[in-house]
Amino acid sequence: MRVTLAASAFAVSAAAPASAFAVDYLSIEQAAKLMFPDAETFDVRDVTLDAAQLQQLDAQGVKARSAHWSVRVAKRGANTLGFVVFDDVIGKVELISYAVGIATDGNVKQIEILSYRESHGFEVRLPAWRRQFVGKGAGSAIKVGEDIANISGATLSCTHVTDGVRRIVAVVAAARRGGALA
Amino acid sequence: MLGYQHRFDAKTKVVTELEVEHAVSSADDPGEVEVEQAYIEHQFTPTWAARAGLFLIPAGLLNENHEPTSFYGVERNFVETAIIPSTWREGGVQIVGSFDNGLTVQGGVTTSFDLTKWDATSTEGRESPLGAIHQEMALAKARDLAVFGAVNWRGVPGLLLGGSLFTGNATHGQATTQSRITLWDLHARWTPGRWDLSSVYSRGTISNTAALNATLVGNPTLIPKSFDGWYVQGAYKVWSHEDYALSPFVRWEQFNTARSYADLGPGLTPDASPYERVVTLGANFQITPQIVVKADYQRFRENKDLNRVNLGLGWSF
Repeated sequence: MRVTLAASAFAVSAAAPASAFAVDYLSIEQAAKLMFPDAETFDVRDVTLDAAQLQQLDAQGVKARSAHWSVRVAKRGANTLGFVVFDDVIGKVELISYAVGIATDGNVKQIEILSYRESHGFEVRLPAWRRQFVGKGAGSAIKVGEDIANISGATLSCTHVTDGVRRIVAVVAAARRGGALA
Repeated sequence: MLGYQHRFDAKTKVVTELEVEHAVSSADDPGEVEVEQAYIEHQFTPTWAARAGLFLIPAGLLNENHEPTSFYGVERNFVETAIIPSTWREGGVQIVGSFDNGLTVQGGVTTSFDLTKWDATSTEGRESPLGAIHQEMALAKARDLAVFGAVNWRGVPGLLLGGSLFTGNATHGQATTQSRITLWDLHARWTPGRWDLSSVYSRGTISNTAALNATLVGNPTLIPKSFDGWYVQGAYKVWSHEDYALSPFVRWEQFNTARSYADLGPGLTPDASPYERVVTLGANFQITPQIVVKADYQRFRENKDLNRVNLGLGWSF
């Protein structure tokens, strides 16, 4: 019998110009139209969460990351069809640009990957993986290893996009409760 | 391990990894300093990219994803160290195709192994036949080149099915005969909910070993004709709170680094090795997704002296 001790570490740094897109799949306008094809306009609303709202999100286990969010309200005439939020998260070392479409019932309607830059893990783009989010709302776990299946070899990309979707669902719900998107 | 990536432009980047093993590397210390990856990647279209330089061979589940946070257990499994010589890299060029149906195909031409490095007086070849003769791009011989291909399918969330093949001559015109080394694997991983289930089978062959071994008879470690191994592993996240997560796992593996030898005649042909069978029982405790504390117990069926408890701490960022 023996006891072995091991410490292993892996650190990666990246230096990438902010405008660098390895593969751009969709523009912001294309993604918004794809999610709400019936929408005639997408009104851009700047939302600022106050301290109480941020604390409420924190109590739900959601780190809002910023108090300031930009939400596009999909409209047909006077009717609100839903909301679209664009965001970036880090995959392993590079940014993933994505968009979340939320229906008026507060549940995810669709997510789209706008740009993916990593060497591995492009599978977060696949429709089958993205479909897992459809219908999930503020009451859902929206966590890899819970209600969202991981992609082998792309754990960090999956985890960070999933965390981002959970954050956006919670932020839009909080903003609507506060009357900011009425 | 230190990694550095730099993006030159929208379609081109360089990826590098530098590793220091065993903390200190000097003439009097056991450590090594290694460049594990150094390649340029260029994206031609959203589907097709090319890599050139020193890169990891896409074999098994671990070789291309070997950060400590991405596998269970303190040490990597035996199949993907003794049979697939992780961390296995070669110099060359490859193309990568990523398709919308979840299929990733990779193929390329690289440096090969170097059988003239085989040391029949050492046990290294018994521990990992290909680990003993990999070149790691250190003044690598390139008279004989190898080709490789890999197919992986991730079309269903949580499921990965794949396989790989690597084959090439490996004596570089410096032995009495040519010899081809071929290594292939099939692998699967399924992660439904809190489960993480995986399995790998890999088999390698070396041709014309009778001629190569003829001059090595009498030494303890002759060149095997074939070697293989497989494992099944199951992990389950039993507890999680915020970023903390506890995932016990169990792995059963059996492997044989000398499954068969070419016939050298009565009394001269070495006996094939018995399969080593190892059960590993342990747990990964995640502090954050980038930091993991690991503990496991490994029990060996053949060489019971190797029974051990491993404790590890890993991080990746």
